[in-house]
Amino acid sequence: MDFTGIQTGGWEFVQAAYGISFVVFAAYLSFLFRRAIAENAL
Amino acid sequence: MKFRWEQGAGLFGLVLLACGTYYGFAVAPMEQFMGPPQKIMYIHVPTAWTTLLTFTATFVGSVGYLANKQWKWDHLIEASIETGVVLGTLLAVQGALWAKPTWGLYWDWDPRLTSVAVMVLSYSGIAALRGLVDDPSKRARWSAVASILAYVNVVFVYLCVKWLRSLHQVQSTPATVDADMVVALRINAFAVLFLGICMVATRYRIARKRLSQELEC
Repeated sequence: MDFTGIQTGGWEFVQAAYGISFVVFAAYLSFLFRRAIAENAL
Repeated sequence: MKFRWEQGAGLFGLVLLACGTYYGFAVAPMEQFMGPPQKIMYIHVPTAWTTLLTFTATFVGSVGYLANKQWKWDHLIEASIETGVVLGTLLAVQGALWAKPTWGLYWDWDPRLTSVAVMVLSYSGIAALRGLVDDPSKRARWSAVASILAYVNVVFVYLCVKWLRSLHQVQSTPATVDADMVVALRINAFAVLFLGICMVATRYRIARKRLSQELEC
């Protein structure tokens, strides 16, 4: 935060939010397709 | 294995997510007061909308099953609950990561955050209930009734920021944010929506296959 009170930092939170989101999307989609293929559901 | 339409929806969602995220970071302006953490909006708000839509699909499936006892509605309940819990948990994590740099804390027991926690826990409980009941008819009926009750809280999640004093802001409208921010938000809204459709549809096929095997035994 600079002297005006305007936020200038916080990129680490942005990286964490997007990183976790992309990992969750990819992991859950991968998990679903693997399970669907294993159970011959596709 | 055939290439199914939901796989196309998932791929389209991933492409849109890449475009929307690029637009949000490279084109949309930096928010004046929050600074970089505002960029979390482009993933957090679309996840919230898709989570609420997913649990709305659970509600539709529950009413459908109780009305005409067709298994397709029970498959929808099973598929949308699991997807909704995954997206709802992700939503809470994204929110905490946005809350820390803007509010100074990861979590607060305010109406929106508390009702989201209740939402995720209640649908997790219904998913656990489904795992404990062996009889498919009882399982479908009980989870449909429980899901209708749980949906009352989903409506509350959406409206509580208007009704109650909350640390969480009320819903933004295109009139209150920059046009480029709206574009990034809309692209990612469709991106996460298509990913959610892909998840529910794939999980639906698994639920249908499992039930057919269960009924054969």
